[in-house]
Order: sequence, then C-alpha cells, then structure tokens
Amino acid sequence: MTDANTPPHAFFLPRSGLEDLFQILQSDGYQVLGPTVVNDTVMIRPLESIAQLPQGVSDRQDGGFYRLVDGDPELSFEFVVGPNGPKNYLFPAKLKLLEFHVGNERFELDAGQPDVPKYAFLGVRPCELAAVKVQDRVFGVAEPGMFRCESETWYTLARRQALFIAVNCTRPAGTCFCASWGTGPRATEGFDLALTELRGGFIVEVGSDRGQAIVGRLPTREPTVSELELAELKLERAAEQMGRRLETGDVKELLDHDLEHPEWDKVAQRCLSCGNCTMVCPTCFCCTVEDSTYLADENITRTRYWESCFTHQFSYLTSGPERATIRGRYRHWLRHKLSTWWDQFDMSGCVGCGRCITWCPVGIDLTEEIPRFREGGHAKAENTTQSRGT
Amino acid sequence: MPHTLSSSRPEPICGMDTWMPVPARILAIEQENFNTWTFTTRFVAEEIRKIYRFAPGQFNMLYVPGVGEAAFSLSSDPAEPETLAHTVRRVGSVTRALERFKPGGLIGLRGPFGHGWPMELMRDRHVVIVAGGIGIAPLRPVLYTLLHNPDYCKRLVLLYGCRTPADRVYASELEDWENNDAIEVLVTVDNADSEWNGPVGVVTNLLRRIKVDAKNTIVLVCGPKVLNRVAAWSFLQLHVPPDQVFVSLERNMNCGFARCGHCQLGGKFVCSDGPVFRFSDIADIFAKEDI
Repeated sequence: MTDANTPPHAFFLPRSGLEDLFQILQSDGYQVLGPTVVNDTVMIRPLESIAQLPQGVSDRQDGGFYRLVDGDPELSFEFVVGPNGPKNYLFPAKLKLLEFHVGNERFELDAGQPDVPKYAFLGVRPCELAAVKVQDRVFGVAEPGMFRCESETWYTLARRQALFIAVNCTRPAGTCFCASWGTGPRATEGFDLALTELRGGFIVEVGSDRGQAIVGRLPTREPTVSELELAELKLERAAEQMGRRLETGDVKELLDHDLEHPEWDKVAQRCLSCGNCTMVCPTCFCCTVEDSTYLADENITRTRYWESCFTHQFSYLTSGPERATIRGRYRHWLRHKLSTWWDQFDMSGCVGCGRCITWCPVGIDLTEEIPRFREGGHAKAENTTQSRGT
Repeated sequence: MPHTLSSSRPEPICGMDTWMPVPARILAIEQENFNTWTFTTRFVAEEIRKIYRFAPGQFNMLYVPGVGEAAFSLSSDPAEPETLAHTVRRVGSVTRALERFKPGGLIGLRGPFGHGWPMELMRDRHVVIVAGGIGIAPLRPVLYTLLHNPDYCKRLVLLYGCRTPADRVYASELEDWENNDAIEVLVTVDNADSEWNGPVGVVTNLLRRIKVDAKNTIVLVCGPKVLNRVAAWSFLQLHVPPDQVFVSLERNMNCGFARCGHCQLGGKFVCSDGPVFRFSDIADIFAKEDI
C-alpha cells in the first residue's frame, strides 16, 4: 500500500464481481457462511457457490409472521435477517467443551484444542455486527483483539479468525427497528467489507486491513457520483421505512421503576413461555453445561447447550423454580435485554433486529409493550403487590 | 493482618480452562445430622494446594465425575487452605452421588468463586451472625477467622436457628463455642424435644436477648429465603444502617463466573456479584418474588 495515496472511501464492485469475491474467500481458506433459502426461510448456512444466495427473494415479517415473496430478480440481498445468524457459529447451540476420563490421580483430557473453522460471514447485517459486539463484551472481549476470557476457547478462536462482509439494509422488514438503536441500517463498525447493493453491483466500503487486502484483489472501479448518491438515498429511505420504532432513551428507567406494572400481567397472559425469542435473539448468552458418560469406555463429555430463561429448570433450586410464573420469566427476559444488561455490561442487550417479534408464535412485540409501560402503572404505589399464581 | 481478614479476593485456581475441574481426594466424611455431611477434601496436586486460598463466604463448584456439579460454600478454616471442607445437605443428584463416596474417593473442584463476607469492615465492630439450618456453613470460616483473632472485632455474637435440635450442624463445635468467652452463642429451635432446654421459636426472637449497638454493628445473615428477609429487616428496624447488613443468597449456579446466566437476581449475578450482598445494594429486589 502506498501511503501517499490514501485509499478511496468506497469502490464499486460490479455484480459479476460477487463470484470473484466468493472465489477469493474460498481460496483463502475461509468457510463461507451466507444466506440461503432453507424450508422457506432465509438461513445462514455454509455456501458452496454464490448460486445458493437467495437471488430475487424478499421477505415479509410481522409479529408472529414470516413469509418469503418474489423480489427484484436482479438483487441478491433484498431480504433481511432470518431466525439464525453468526451467533449460531461463534457460540454454537451445542458445543463439546471437554472430553476426559478419570485417571488414578487426575482427570486425563482426551481431546485437544477444538478445530475451529475460519468463517467468512457473507451478507451479515448491521444489526448482526452490533450483536457480535454485544457478545464480545459478554464473553470478555475488552477491546478488538483483546480476549481476556480463557474459558471461551471456541468463541475466542472463531471470533479472531472470522471475516465479516456486511450488506447494508436497503429494505428493512416489518419488524426491524435498528434505526431506533442506531445499529443500522448502515454498518458503521465491526466489518471487514460493507456492501450496499444496487442493481448493477455493490458500493464497497473497507473496514479493516483484511478487507483492504481483499478489495485489492477484486475487479473494482471508482464509483460514479450518481451510484454513491443512489446508495446514500437507499440507506436513508431504509431508515425512514423501519417497520417498528422504539423510544430507547428512557427505557431502562422505565423498566427499573415499576416492577409490578399491570402490563406484566397482561403480557404474561399472552406469552406461551416457549423460549423462541431467546433462541432467535442474537445476544442471548444463557447456557447450561451438562455431563454425559459413555457406558463403553467411561469417558466423560462436558457439553454446553443454549438455555432459555423461559424454562422452569433455568432457575430451579430444590425449593422450586425461582421464577415460577410466566410473568416473572417474561419480566426477567425483557428487563435483561433493555435494563439489567446495562448494569451488567454497560450496553443494551437489544440491537433492534426484530427477530423476537417475528418468531414469537403469538406475536408479542416489545416495541408495542414498552409504550404501555409509559402509560398508567402503579407509579409510586409500587411494592404493594406480591407474587401471583402462574 | 492475616490474609483472610483483608479485602482481597482469591481468584479461581482451575487454570486455563475454567470448565475443567481440578481433582481432589475426599479425606474425611463427617455426618452432621440425618441428611447433612461435611466432606473434607484435599487437592491431589501439591502445586494447587500451595496456591489455593479462599475468603470466608466464597464457594466452590463440587464435581462428581459423570454426574455433574453443584455449588457449595467453603465451610472450613481459611487459615488452613490445604484441606477444604464443604457441608452438603442431600437434596439433588449431585448431593446424592456425593453421599455414595467414601474417604479416598476422587472428586473435582472449581473455585473459589464469588465475593465473601466483608472481613475488613469487622475490625473494632460488633459482629452479629444470624444463621438458619445449613446456612451456618458459609459463616463457619468467619467464625474460625474471628476466633483466631479475638481482638479483631469488639464483640462476636452467633444467633443460630434450626427446626429441631437434631437439625443442628456442627453440634459439638457449637458446644465448644458456648464455652468460649470470645463469642456469645444463642441457639433456638422451632420444635423442641424433651431434652432441649434452650430457647424455642424463630431465630429473630433471639434478638430480644441481646443488646445491639446499632450504628456500630455488622450483621451477617445466611439461611432460607424467609429467614434472610426477616433477619435483615429486624436489624434495620433496630437502626442498623442498611449498608452494614450482609446477606448470602442462593441461586442455581452452573458456571460460577457470570457466564451461564442461571443465577441472575435482577441484574446481579449471584455467583460473582455475590453470593454475599450488602443489603443496600439489593434493597429494591431483595424481597421481590419471581425476580
């Protein structure tokens, strides 16, 4: 790189260059993970070719509603997030932590370091990048490249190696509210490359040295002024077209203020306590480590599974579950996302991806719930009601 | 100042991978009552024994190979960190599996985890300890430490309540302490038998029998949820400042280092923000159900 010439702010990659990008990622040893249609749903999966991208596919999302529809046949990224995301690979739902057997005087480890693939996330959305940043904090990443948590071997390795090729959102879904958190629709950090899709190709922004090196090998050209303006316009319009909106300024105080607000009872009557919201949430980190033994060779495996705070066993003590009612469990979840996350990690646990709204079977919508907490309530007369039945 | 009276907090020794327990041998198993045993353990590796330290009120995850882990308070003397005792009541799969062990058995330990009792605040103060049932276990290291250093605090009181006389743990030590001038011990039971000639009733009734210099008292509470609440509130009513009342809480820890999320109490991770909390830090959620 010549330091006299500062690299231009943005490049234009013609649509055919997507194939080149894919080849580069593969030849650099990355496992490319990107969106593809699985069971009528856009899922992040390992891709073998760009033909698997959902070209001409768009999505309709609403509370408890997800459908794929025909989109612009020339666009490859006209949908937004499906139920899974990078979390499923960086923090897998089921992960073997240790395998060992009891020796005479010690526990003998049977497996060495895990073989973590080099992931390249292609088409990752700005809200997903924000969620990775949240999980970085949870798993102990103080600063980029500074991992203090020694227990998170998989996350540490996967995260260090991962390449993020973001796609900015030019068409938000009906449940999106990233603009309310400032986490989208444009990626501002945490990416190696960020693409904005136009009909003929992509505006490419560089976010890291690794991204710069890849751009240097791509058939890019200078973008025209009208291409840049069009991309800007699309992103501005996307911000205006957010399907949902959340007033975030007072939300922590709101949920801290009145733990016995009557709205908790109302939402508990609708909540099925199924845990879907926790399974699709890109920041939820709760988990359980379980032991299993093989009858044949006495080897012991410690496996970590995602856990949901909507189950009884999550808070189970011998005296029973600490959060015995759906009201208590929903309250814990929503307060964790929007309030107590700040106490624990000094940031919001919500990034505005809208998945918990889309994938809730009864369409509970936190952007509808929060305004209800602003209305009515017990105000100062709190602490008078105690626990209720399930 | 002995290490255990300082405010420094020993960190877990389990090494690079926090999910890997460190093997330890069971040295002795002492039956405390009909469902409670004290397991004395020792790390197999000498180098671990040399570096392992704990503060009163901290806990370990005890691991039964192939069965699982559960959190147990350290109940032994922190001045003798080469042998570690945990007092275990039979309640679930791990405790039942532990019960089948004999001296010499190999188990695993991870820890020590959490924040313990505020030993540094007890200097020249009155210390009132309120314990219910097995809740005395995490307080025994405090008792050992203060009894080793009888001039450290001004006065030491133990109020201990149990369901019946047969429920008492550390019964012989309680008798020793009753004869020790450095500590005032009052034990009460909910249901007395014909041999019991002590007080009957809930443990907070014992407050009538002692005079508390409220502003100068540090209160330590550990017991069932109801006892924790009633005891804490009773001392607040006696005008002990809320930042001088400390309560050790129980939740179902799985990891021990604020990662798995199970033990959350509101925004607190009981495993790492606690298990010992200053009342004034949790006043808003302390008595909430379902939180």
